[in-house]
Amino acid sequence: MTDSAVFRPLRFRNLEVKNRVFRSSISGRFDNYDGSGTEVRLRWDLKFARGGVGAIISSNTPVHMRGLIVPNYAHLDADDKIPFWRELGKRSREYDCKYLAQIAYSGRQRDIPGITYEKGLSSTDKSEPIHGLPCERATVEQIHEIVGYFAQAARRAREAELDGIEIHGCNGYLITQFLSPAINDREDEYGGSLENRARLAVEIVQAIRREVGEDFHVQFKLTGVDHHDALFPWWGKGTTIEDSIQVGRWLEEAGVDGFHISSGSAFPHPRNPAGGFPIADTIRSYDTMLSSGKNTFRNYLMFRTPPLNKVFKWAWERSAKRDGIEGINLAEARRFKEAVTVPVICAGGFQTHSVIARAIDDGSVDGVSIGRPLIANPDLVNMFAAGHDRAPRPCTYCNKCLINFIENPLGCYEESRFDSRAEMVREILSVYEPDPVVATPA
Amino acid sequence: MILEPLRLGPLTLRNRVLRSSVGGRWDNYDGSGTEVRINWDVKFARAGVGAIISSNSPVHSRGAILPGYALIDSDERIPFWRELGRRVHEHGCPYILQINHAGRERVLPGLTYPKGLSSTDDPEPLNGFPCEAMTVEQIQEVVAMFAAGARRAREAGLDAVEVAGANGMMQTQFLSSAINDREDEYGGSLENRARFGLEVVRAMREAVGPDFCLGYKISIEERLDELLPWHKRGNTVEESIQMCRWLEEAGVDYLHVSAGAGFPHPRNPAGSFPAAEMVKTYDTLLSSGRHTLRNYVTFRTWPLNRGFAWWWQRVGKRLGIEGINLASSRAVKQAVSVPVLCTGGFQTASVISGAIERGDCDGVTIARPFVANPDLVRHFEAGRDRAPRPCTYCNKCLFNFVENPLGCYEEARYDSREEMLAEILSVYEPAAA
Repeated sequence: MTDSAVFRPLRFRNLEVKNRVFRSSISGRFDNYDGSGTEVRLRWDLKFARGGVGAIISSNTPVHMRGLIVPNYAHLDADDKIPFWRELGKRSREYDCKYLAQIAYSGRQRDIPGITYEKGLSSTDKSEPIHGLPCERATVEQIHEIVGYFAQAARRAREAELDGIEIHGCNGYLITQFLSPAINDREDEYGGSLENRARLAVEIVQAIRREVGEDFHVQFKLTGVDHHDALFPWWGKGTTIEDSIQVGRWLEEAGVDGFHISSGSAFPHPRNPAGGFPIADTIRSYDTMLSSGKNTFRNYLMFRTPPLNKVFKWAWERSAKRDGIEGINLAEARRFKEAVTVPVICAGGFQTHSVIARAIDDGSVDGVSIGRPLIANPDLVNMFAAGHDRAPRPCTYCNKCLINFIENPLGCYEESRFDSRAEMVREILSVYEPDPVVATPA
Repeated sequence: MILEPLRLGPLTLRNRVLRSSVGGRWDNYDGSGTEVRINWDVKFARAGVGAIISSNSPVHSRGAILPGYALIDSDERIPFWRELGRRVHEHGCPYILQINHAGRERVLPGLTYPKGLSSTDDPEPLNGFPCEAMTVEQIQEVVAMFAAGARRAREAGLDAVEVAGANGMMQTQFLSSAINDREDEYGGSLENRARFGLEVVRAMREAVGPDFCLGYKISIEERLDELLPWHKRGNTVEESIQMCRWLEEAGVDYLHVSAGAGFPHPRNPAGSFPAAEMVKTYDTLLSSGRHTLRNYVTFRTWPLNRGFAWWWQRVGKRLGIEGINLASSRAVKQAVSVPVLCTGGFQTASVISGAIERGDCDGVTIARPFVANPDLVRHFEAGRDRAPRPCTYCNKCLFNFVENPLGCYEEARYDSREEMLAEILSVYEPAAA
């Protein structure tokens, strides 16, 4: 099995990864409220290093306190955070697993703003439309500051001896808020034409390159297609694949070593993570967000009320039903890959060895990133190596992990995957145990 | 008087101003302790408090009020508490572990047990947190958990253990005539309702031996009707005092007087009802109980929230906030011979020394004013009657802790909002090694 494409090393300009599977950025509120990292985050990430992934893309790592999505993710916003990341990278490499920091700025898409900054910054002053999360339009000066935060965070990642960085440029966070014509309503040099909307992304890459030099791995996570109208057909479509390809070319010129293709102008989005809308879990967890936005109480009542919640569930799940979940972004990634010369990896429900190998062999992508299926089976790659095409208890794409993380520890909350609820809870809480049991292929 | 030592049975405190149990979700979701909790407690130890009473530490994960507090539910937890004790002792400060079982009083039940245990099947009345009545066998298990928790406190080298028997926790749920509806030997007469609390104390005493300080916190005025006028009032003061006598006989070294057969209660913490803060954090509780949506809508809807705030605040206005429990404490002191600590808004040296000199209490425990001024004892030592920026009893600390780090959220007490935030977040420094 190890002669499959999945186990061929992947070479970027400045980085070699032992196989083609990246753990995608999946976060969990494991750190301190002030953005300092904890042992728990270390244990969480090492679970996947031990499970055989070639590289770990860190949790969403804010470059500034105002750019967080929710409190309790480790930041890279100051030099005193470097030792934590150095330790994390070092421990990860003990498993021959590369470690990339995903540096990010949320903009207006902040699930829980925390106590420090009530309003996010964005390209626009229009609230995020689903929850009504408030924001204000960044001035050009503020934009330049944010570019500087990204560059400094990249420098810190390098000083922490990490193997590279990923710029989070998709899924509705700040860079999407500039790229997307469905969101960006500016009339200055950062809005209007595609070139203007891409200016922030290009400037971030250029500034990072100036800071870290040419020999440090810099990859960019980009939305292939916004599908901004996925939930409400009367909303604009947003960025098309043609636009993304052009942006990709500019970013490559600016010095990007690889791309990570995802989908959607928002997070969550019916295509990312594609799958179920778990009503009961949502009711239990979404309540925490009620104070975050002006539409949240309306949404909460809708999620609690049949048949409104059923209708929402249907609308949410229909994209995935139509296009399939595993490899939902492959067609878009393939078009993108044809247009750039650096390697391209792609997110979207991957958990079958043969599906991943075929996607690499037919030239759609160079590798894949995995979120939810690795939460369900952290040792998935070891299972592939042992000859399994899929884990015996695969991810069901129920999305309960996603919705639980706000109030509860991140983990797999699909009871049907466990022998009992007690076993599930034990597995979820194992992240807090000082000496985690080594996962072995089933 | 304030700065004189105080003997609590085998334990001697360096002064009479104790930091009361005040929580903060500093720890891991599974109940393992963190460096942040140590930072939090050391802050008060360094500033000269007479002793620290820990935040409530559940004897079992089903007895947690909400996740994020360090538990004392297994021997694996001992090293954390030993380290915490060591770091607090470095500043000459004794450490009292407050152990609890929340029963039905569970703000966020967490993953493991959707329902709490109680004396009754009736949900907690304010928020509607669900519970089921314990069998006699389950009661005996909980008694044993308290004993094991006390033994662990001693093994961890801590200085005392206090039962969180007040404020609507499990012991209140048995003792209170407004809550306990059992018809077995744990319900009905006062003697029966007292049985659980007394069994807990006897089992703990047996576990720790005669030479280890054991305290008990009790609500003298239960007054559930002060918040929920349709609810039964609860025990009379005379009944509570009788319980104190029995507790003394059962072997407690001190009593700690509080109020309210539920938490929060207009007498504890007495003060303001900060509706705006409440709306921001109470939302997290919506999935916890059957009345929470009703409450949430009340808190966010004018003029319902004004009405609620008026209703809440009238009790503190009538009785006064600082020393609100002194009459209770005096009644207890007259009935027992062990030392009596009293909680309730204390932050003025002359008020505290007056209370001690009059014999209303032997010492005081302070929560909110210490959150505002951790160095309050230093102010007293320097001869000041009060801190220059006293606690305003706004209760914003209390209503923020569910979602945000515990700290003083009264912006008026700071030069700027930035200064306030820096102070609140300082608990994370120094970062964990």
